[in-house]
Amino acid sequence: MDLRFTETQEILKKMARDFLTTECPKTLVRKLEQSEEGYSPEVWKKMAELGWMGLIIPEEYGGMGYTFQDLVVLLEEIGRNILPGPLIATITSTFSILEAGTEEQKKELLPKIAQGELILTTALLEGDGVFDASGIAVKATPKGDDFVINGTKLFVEMAHVANHIICVTRTKDGTTSEKGTTLFIVDSKTPGISCEVMPTTAADKLCEVRFKDVSVPKKNILGKIDEGWPIVEMMLRKGAIAKCAESLGAIETCVEMTVAYSKERVQYDRPIGAFQAVQHKIADMWTAMETSRYLIYEAAWMESEGLPCAKEASMAKAYVNEVYMDTAKWAVRLHGAIATSADHDIPFYYRRSKAADTAFGGTDFHREIVAQKMGLA
Amino acid sequence: MDLALTDEQKARKQEFYDVCKELEKKKPPSFLGAETVFELDDCWEYHLHCAKEFAKRGWLALGWPPEYDGKGDMMDRVLFAEARGYYDTPGVDIFGVQMLAPTLLQAASEEIKREFLPPIARGEVMWCELWSEPNAGSDLAALSTTAIKKGDEYIINGQKTWNTAAHKADWGFGVFKTDPEARKHHNMTFILLDMKTPGITIRPIPYLDGHAPYCEVYFDDVHVPAKNIVGQEHEGWAVVNLLAGFERSGIDIIMSYIRALEELVKFCNETKRHGQPLAKDPLIRNRLAELACELEAARALAYRVADLQNRNEMSLMDAAAGKIFFSELGERLAFVATDILGPYGQVKTSRWAPLDGLWEKLFHDHFVTTVSMGTNEIQRNIIAWYGLGLPRIR
Repeated sequence: MDLRFTETQEILKKMARDFLTTECPKTLVRKLEQSEEGYSPEVWKKMAELGWMGLIIPEEYGGMGYTFQDLVVLLEEIGRNILPGPLIATITSTFSILEAGTEEQKKELLPKIAQGELILTTALLEGDGVFDASGIAVKATPKGDDFVINGTKLFVEMAHVANHIICVTRTKDGTTSEKGTTLFIVDSKTPGISCEVMPTTAADKLCEVRFKDVSVPKKNILGKIDEGWPIVEMMLRKGAIAKCAESLGAIETCVEMTVAYSKERVQYDRPIGAFQAVQHKIADMWTAMETSRYLIYEAAWMESEGLPCAKEASMAKAYVNEVYMDTAKWAVRLHGAIATSADHDIPFYYRRSKAADTAFGGTDFHREIVAQKMGLA
Repeated sequence: MDLALTDEQKARKQEFYDVCKELEKKKPPSFLGAETVFELDDCWEYHLHCAKEFAKRGWLALGWPPEYDGKGDMMDRVLFAEARGYYDTPGVDIFGVQMLAPTLLQAASEEIKREFLPPIARGEVMWCELWSEPNAGSDLAALSTTAIKKGDEYIINGQKTWNTAAHKADWGFGVFKTDPEARKHHNMTFILLDMKTPGITIRPIPYLDGHAPYCEVYFDDVHVPAKNIVGQEHEGWAVVNLLAGFERSGIDIIMSYIRALEELVKFCNETKRHGQPLAKDPLIRNRLAELACELEAARALAYRVADLQNRNEMSLMDAAAGKIFFSELGERLAFVATDILGPYGQVKTSRWAPLDGLWEKLFHDHFVTTVSMGTNEIQRNIIAWYGLGLPRIR
């Protein structure tokens, strides 16, 4: 047992921190939130040069061949700076291709993803807003060599700039809602697709994507027909851990900024950090951060080793969801009125904490998975 | 990051689990967690029995250097604690094995080590801690009980309190004011003493549930050989800090909670209310899952603390965070579990009590973890002052 980062991970971490400090100042974050695209193609290109989109893609497909654990190290750094953009959407969609893609699909897509030439996203949620298969109603109907997709997807991250959308559809009414779901890799330029950005708390470009008689060739099925749900579960599991890692970085920033501010802000002739009412709250934030950290690292390690970790991943997501929101909330409270200003950096984190909470399953969704895995009948 | 155990570690872990599982068969029905060892005679006997079984295997000296008959390493100690915690097996003297032994190894003279370590390893001598006083709790350095040197003896006068197991222990270790004129933190000495020494009076303090795990200890001209000290004379504060830094991952307590939650899950699966198992109630599912998440977080942090200590690195902040977290989690567990049990949550061990009254007991005993070993408020100060460098106004 050794909970330290490996040398490779330390290098990755330092490289990411240096890069993001220079390339992703808060002025850029602010600008991107207000922009239509919601990401910077220039920074995206530089990130591709560093190999980030291809980090977990095997070398034979033009990637770096790093482990899932290494990815977690990188995402923690991304989270510290809350870099906006389609990185997590692309990486989590890549999980599905790596897991279920045919050799042809992998050869076609993975090298381009690694090069930063393709942005991907996954269209899962619909009107119900639930993360289980009962929410899947968008239909894909066979027609000749194609399937025709009809229906509306919601909360699809960065779909407005994505080149490909992995769309979770219903192809059959099965005995359970999981049966009869099929994944398609859809070129976002296909006629019949329209996209609209939803206004959200974090301005993180979640989209409504409408499919009207969208023809997709059969060869674009990802995995097996009618048996798409295990891929979704895998994507949600890895996505949950990945999102937790990003949240952890954000939690770190919230704690660090609050510590620094409480040392410099003087009231009653002393820094507010000298008051135990403030000290103890900060100690609680720090404690919550550390408990989150090792829970996330444990889940990441298990995922990396290929050990079954649905329970641990859900434990991490359910726990970190609340820690992030609570830490960000207290960061605002301890800063006082100044951090309620839109010009301040802390509100970025507070608003993102809500986005992180719902992404890849909210707290109750993951607690129910934990309830099942812990043996509750 | 690598959480894997080596094959050897896995084998030893299995052995620890096997032995503790076997010992569980001899557990008296009155045993309800670590505190009952100090409260009930049959549980104390069980504790001594387990100590002998562990001593026989060399497990009370895990991680000690070979020259003191040590066995295994620090990681073995963690795995052993995990197994003991899961089966709630006593037998490891918190004060002798977990606190004093590592302190002696680092700070005591060779003579003291040779005299006191072997009986600890053999599970023969049980210890208690003589720190707090009526007016020196969290502010321990404000203590006033004196040990005045006269010839080759110290003569102790005063009173200690909240001394867990003082009425059961053979020996005690404590800090006493040896130089009343000197400034704070340089006026006390860490002294070892036989609890049977004339002049010592021990009075158990009834705890809020009516049991008596703690005592008051009165000293009236108690003569102790001057050689029985650890560290430098008048520099006992440094030894106190050294001792406080040991162990404290809390993995044993966390594992006992994990087991208790497993039992509660079984209970919820088997018990019907409103015509269906409690386990089907979405609210109960949600609350128990929440606790399970927190327990896993506590366990993961405990390994972090253990990992740091295995490499002899400081774990002050993480140990404090872990202590705050697992102890307050114990409170939440007790509150949620007794709530789920409904009116039965208040029933003590009896034919009416679900799960032998374990949760009713924890409703009282969780204070042991939040209040002792440095209150959680002190732990928060540690994180704020020493960890994060927030200003300290005196």
